Amino acid sequence: MAVPHDASASAGRRRRPVRWELPALVAAAVAPLLVPPLGGGLGGQVTILFIYAILALALNVMVGFTGILHLGIAALFGIGGYTAAILTVPTLPFGWPFAAAATAAVAVAAGAGLLLAAPTLRLRGDYLAIVTLGFGEVVKVALRNLEEITGGMQGLGPVPPPGAALEIGGIDLGREFVVDPRWFYWLALAALAAVVSGLRWLEGSRLGRAMAAVREDELAAAAVGVPVGRVKLAAFAISSAIAGLAGCLYVTSLSTTADPNTYDFQRSVLMLCAVILGGLGSIPGTLAGVAILVGFDTVLAPRADAWLQQVGLNTTGSSILSFSGWRLAVFGMVLIVMMRFRPEGLLPTRRGAGKLPPAAGNSEN
Amino acid sequence: MVRFPRRRRDRSLEQTAADPLLSVDRLTVRFGGLVAVADLDLDVEQGAIASLIGPNGAGKTTAFNCISGINRPTRGTVRLDGRRVARPFTPVAFWGIVAIGLLTGLLVAAVAIDIDGVWLAVVKRPMAAGEPPRAATLGRRLRSYFRWELAVDRLGASWRVVTPDGREVVAIRRSREDASRLRDALQAAVTARRAGPGTVPEATDFGDAADAVHAVDGEVLDRLAAGKRAIRLRGWTALAAGWLVGAAGGYAVWRRGRRSPEVVAAAGIARTFQNIRLFEGMTALENVRVGLDWGHRGSRRIDDPEQVATEILAKVGLAGEAGRRAGELAYGDRRRLEIARALATRPRLLLLDEPTAGMNPAETAAVAELIRQIRDSGVTVLLIEHHMQTVMRVSDRVSVLDHGVKIAEGTPREIRRDERVIKAYLGEAEA
Repeated sequence: MAVPHDASASAGRRRRPVRWELPALVAAAVAPLLVPPLGGGLGGQVTILFIYAILALALNVMVGFTGILHLGIAALFGIGGYTAAILTVPTLPFGWPFAAAATAAVAVAAGAGLLLAAPTLRLRGDYLAIVTLGFGEVVKVALRNLEEITGGMQGLGPVPPPGAALEIGGIDLGREFVVDPRWFYWLALAALAAVVSGLRWLEGSRLGRAMAAVREDELAAAAVGVPVGRVKLAAFAISSAIAGLAGCLYVTSLSTTADPNTYDFQRSVLMLCAVILGGLGSIPGTLAGVAILVGFDTVLAPRADAWLQQVGLNTTGSSILSFSGWRLAVFGMVLIVMMRFRPEGLLPTRRGAGKLPPAAGNSEN
Repeated sequence: MVRFPRRRRDRSLEQTAADPLLSVDRLTVRFGGLVAVADLDLDVEQGAIASLIGPNGAGKTTAFNCISGINRPTRGTVRLDGRRVARPFTPVAFWGIVAIGLLTGLLVAAVAIDIDGVWLAVVKRPMAAGEPPRAATLGRRLRSYFRWELAVDRLGASWRVVTPDGREVVAIRRSREDASRLRDALQAAVTARRAGPGTVPEATDFGDAADAVHAVDGEVLDRLAAGKRAIRLRGWTALAAGWLVGAAGGYAVWRRGRRSPEVVAAAGIARTFQNIRLFEGMTALENVRVGLDWGHRGSRRIDDPEQVATEILAKVGLAGEAGRRAGELAYGDRRRLEIARALATRPRLLLLDEPTAGMNPAETAAVAELIRQIRDSGVTVLLIEHHMQTVMRVSDRVSVLDHGVKIAEGTPREIRRDERVIKAYLGEAEA
C-alpha cells in the first residue's frame, strides 16, 4: 500500500513516488519501434503476455489484496471474452464497436462476479475457494452447452479487430490491426497501464485499506466497523471487471473465443501460480510472475524448440527431445524451488502479505 | 429508576444523561447445554468506567461478544442510549431483497424456458433467414416463442419444420417454400387443436400441404398444442419459485447481519480483544486509519485523517511507531495499538477485554492511566480485567460474574468486602 515505510508519519499523505511504473511503461511503449521482431510474431506473443498480466492482476485483487482464494478467475475471463464476441461477431446482429463491446464485457463480468459473491459472502477460506472452483467448472460447462449462444465447442468467431470500419486520417484502423501486430501490442499495453494505475490508486484508498484489513483479520475488521460483506462484494466486482477486460482483449486478439476449455481450471491455476510466484498482493510481483511463467510458456518454450531443431539436437521433432515437452516439469521444479527458498514471492510487498489466505477456521475470537 | 416515555426523554437533556449509556437486559447465552451467561442485567452510566470481573470461564468474554455483535444471544437485549443496536428495516433493504428475489427468479426462469432456445428463436433464426432482428420485431418473435409456434430451420441442404427451440424435428423438406407451407398448415392444425375448431383456418385450407399434416401423428400435434401451456407454466413457476428462494435468502442474510459487529461498531461501540487481533501486516498508522475510515457513523467528518491518526497514536504513546508493521511491535505496544484502533472509530462506549494481560507492573499502571484519560475525554469504558489492583483503582462500578450469573455489583469498596465474591474467587472454607 502506498504508505511510508520510513518512520516519518507525515510523509504518509504523499503517495509513494512512482519508481518503476513510468519508465517501464515508456520502455515498453517505444520497444516495438526499436526492436523489429516485436513487429512480427514476437509482438503477438508479448501482447498475449500483457493480457495475461491483466488477468493475473485481477486475481491479485482477490487473493493478494482481500485474501480470498479464488480458483475460478478463468471463468470470468471467459465471460468477458464471450460477451465481447457475441456483441461484435458479424454472424450475430449486434455488431458493436470495440469500445462499446469492451465496456459491456467489463460490466457483464462484474455482474457475474457479484452474482457469484452475493450468496457466498458468509463463507470463509477453503469453503469459498471450493465455491469459486465450482463456479469455474459450471461456467465452462454452460459455455459448452449453450450451443446456440456460445457456439458450443467451436466457439464464436471471427471477432473483428478493434477499430474495424473506423477510419482516422485516412488510416483504416481495422486493417492496420490485422496487418501490424504492434497496434494490438499498444492497445494491450495501454489497458495494462490503466489497470496498474487503477490498482495503485485502489491500494492507497479507503476501500483498499478495508480490503487489506479484511485479509488480515476479518473479525477485527468488522469490529472496527468495516462492512466486510460489502468490501468483499466490491473486491469480487473489481476483480471480475478486470478479468472481463482481459477476456475481451484476449478474444479480440485471437479473433475467436476458441473453445470453452480455454477458460478452464488450468488457466486459473496458472494465474494463481503467477501471483504466488511474484508475491501475493504485489503489483510488480504479479507482473514479474506472469512474465516468467507465461513468458516461459508462450515465448521461451517455442523459441527453445526452434533452436534445438536448428542445432540439430532434435531433427525428428520428438517431444521427449523438445523443450516444450519438458516445460511442465520445469514449471513444477521452479515452483518447488521458489516455495523452498523464497515463499513470500519474488517481489513481495513490504506489508508481508506473502501468505495464502488462511484455512477455513480462522474464526471466532 | 423512573421511566419516562421516549418523547419526553428526547426533549430533556437531563433525563437523557440520567439514563444508562449501555443497558443489557436479561442477556442469556447458551452453547448447546452450557449456559455461558444467564439473565445478565448490566447498566453502564455515561462517562463511567465500569468493570466486569469474575473467575475464568465466568462468561465475561461471552457477554462482551454479545454486546459487540460477534455472538448472537439466545435471549435478551442490548441497548445503547435506550435504543436497540440493530440495523433498521429500511425501504432500501426491502427493495434490495425484492430485487435479489427477482434476479434469482429470472435466472431460474431462464433455465426453465431454455434461454438457448430463446436465443435461437429471437436472434439466430432471423439472422439465418436473412432478416436481422430489430427492436420492432423482437416482441413478435418472443411472443411466437412463448406460444410454442413451429418454425423452419435449415440444416445443410434440407429445411426442417421444428419446435421453436429447434430441438424437435416434425418434418423435413427439400425446399424452403415447401417447408414454410407445411409449417403454416401444421401450425394451423396445432392451433385448432388448442383453441377449438373454427377459430383459425383449418389445415385443409392449405391445399396439398394438408395431406402432409394428416401424415403427422395426432399425438404429436396434441403435444405441440400443449407446448404453449407447458412453457408458460414452466416459466412462471420457475420465476415464482426463484423469487421466493431469492427473497427468502436475501432476507435471511439481511436478518443475520442486523446485529453484526460492523453494525455495532457503526453505532458507536468499539472493542479490543483478549488475544490481540491487529492487522499484523499493516503499519500502526494504517491500523488506526482503518478505524478512522469506517467506525462510528454518527460522528463528525474528519478533514485530515492522516493528522488525526497520528494524534491518536501519540495519545496512546506510539508516536514513534507509526510506520512500523503492527506485527513487529512489542507486546505492550500491540495492546496499546489495539486501543488506539478502537479509539479511532470514535466510539461512545469502549469495551476493553483484559487490556493489561501479560504486562509488567509499570506497563499496567500506564494502561490504567490511559483508561482514565480515555474516560476523561468523554468515552465510557467497560472493562474486563483480572488484575484486581487495576480494577479497584480505576473502576467506578464493578460487576462480578460467576458461572454466567451476576453475583454482585457495586463500588470497588463494596465488592472487596462482598462475601459471595470472595467465595467465588477463593472457594469456600473447609471448616
